[in-house]
Amino acid sequence: MDTGNNRTEEEALPKRDAYLWDRSGESDPEIKRLETLLGQFQHDGRVLAFPEIVVNKGWRRFSRGMRWFPAVAATAAAFGAIVLAIFLAYRNEPVSTVPVSGWDVSRVAGTPRVGANSGSLGQANHLGVGQILETDSRSRARLRAEDIGQIEVDPSTRLRLLTMGAGLKRIALDRGTIHTYIWAPAGQFVVDTPSAMTVDLGCAYTLQVDDSGAGLVRTSLGWVGFKLNGHEAFIPAGAACATRPKVGPGTPYFEDASAEFRAALARLDFDNSTPQQRNDDLALVLAQSRKRDALTLWHLLSRVNDNQRASVYDRLQTIAPAPANVTKQGILHLDQAMLDQWWNELGFDDISVWRHWERSWSGTPQKP
Amino acid sequence: MTAARNGDREAFAHLYRRYARIVHGVLLAKVPLSDVDDLVQDVFMIALRHLPKVRKAEKFGAWLAAIARNRGNDYHRRSRPEDQLADDPPCTHVPSRGDSGDDESAVILETIRSLPDSYRETLILRLVEGMTGPEIAARTGMTHGSVRVNLHRGMQQLREKLSSNQKSSRPEKETL
Repeated sequence: MDTGNNRTEEEALPKRDAYLWDRSGESDPEIKRLETLLGQFQHDGRVLAFPEIVVNKGWRRFSRGMRWFPAVAATAAAFGAIVLAIFLAYRNEPVSTVPVSGWDVSRVAGTPRVGANSGSLGQANHLGVGQILETDSRSRARLRAEDIGQIEVDPSTRLRLLTMGAGLKRIALDRGTIHTYIWAPAGQFVVDTPSAMTVDLGCAYTLQVDDSGAGLVRTSLGWVGFKLNGHEAFIPAGAACATRPKVGPGTPYFEDASAEFRAALARLDFDNSTPQQRNDDLALVLAQSRKRDALTLWHLLSRVNDNQRASVYDRLQTIAPAPANVTKQGILHLDQAMLDQWWNELGFDDISVWRHWERSWSGTPQKP
Repeated sequence: MTAARNGDREAFAHLYRRYARIVHGVLLAKVPLSDVDDLVQDVFMIALRHLPKVRKAEKFGAWLAAIARNRGNDYHRRSRPEDQLADDPPCTHVPSRGDSGDDESAVILETIRSLPDSYRETLILRLVEGMTGPEIAARTGMTHGSVRVNLHRGMQQLREKLSSNQKSSRPEKETL
């Protein structure tokens, strides 16, 4: 059984990455060695001799260009006539729906296919709004959008690009697995699944959806928000969270929690257990919770019934004491401001990031 | 920026000193080492010609990095016109700076260049050009989160690749 004393990779990462990030903290011998070996390829610092920068040449350039005005004007007029003729000939044709923005698609293995909603799928190197990307059991693909991030698409996956606006970028994962590395600002990249909406809050994560529509998100960096009809979950690095159709997100948990802990949590989230079974499962979760499982207990506060909430409060208060102005009474009444304050004390991330962006999302995932 | 836009050569040289490592690193992630210096000069010449187009000084680094990426892609298109993949073609040249780079360094650099675009670029800026994560973010216009993700995941993949390379080819060599 996990005693909570094991130093996991996730706990060690921030310390190890500090040197990689800004050379602070304890130096990492492996990275130092790479720096030494690769330093020889560095830019040599030599400053180039640049030609004189000439400004305010606009008028001279303009008058020089004017020599060609008659020829340019004639060419433009001819081109305009051709465009007009084409327009008149085709004005009754349906307007083209070729997408103008989207994700670049590259094949990683097999034959991933891209196509329109109603048409047959073909091979393309761009996924536009309204199009589907589908991989079979032997194909994999990579999506990349310069200002958003990169998505690795596993075999047997089907996803659709819903929107590609300046603010919100949205795809739907109907089934399969994607690994996302997002560098767009937090809150701008959303993935709809049949059982929840996944909101990137500055992170890398893996999202799986099975044929029943049930999903699982596993965060490797940053944090992810999961939401369905007001039911929400926040999943920081090292944690995972399952979702079920019509139920929405379950309770997030750190993946190094014991198997018993996770099984009890899954029953609490998704099973139609008897009241006695639910009490037993909750007792097991509370008894086995470690300091970092404050993540799970904080979410449980709003998921258990009124009779059970006090015991969750007491355990959470023991492992991660609430700020001074957060009262037991307030928490038992699910005072949102107090819940948010307590979350911010847990050290995962500032919940105001989520609250700020939450207003722009719809809570209903789109149907395939 | 304003002085450089107004034709001050010294001001442009200052911009060069500040951003040369970014351009060098971005190009090194895409093209053979022997061609990088020439292309760095090309990129700054392009920047020099189009400097008045840059309205916001804080966007200069991101703009310059974009020019460098395009220049790197052009290099491959021109040298291999038959290539039709949308993704950047993997670079297969073993780097050599006047053939003086030692084997191990060259292999490591080549391994970094086999990683996905965003990882290889960020890792090269960090490990080759010696920039810190916050510097990379400030000069390329990327968010801290993005740079962190790229460094973290890129380093993870680099470790895995180097480790499997060493197991398969040179087991007697000291492991990283």
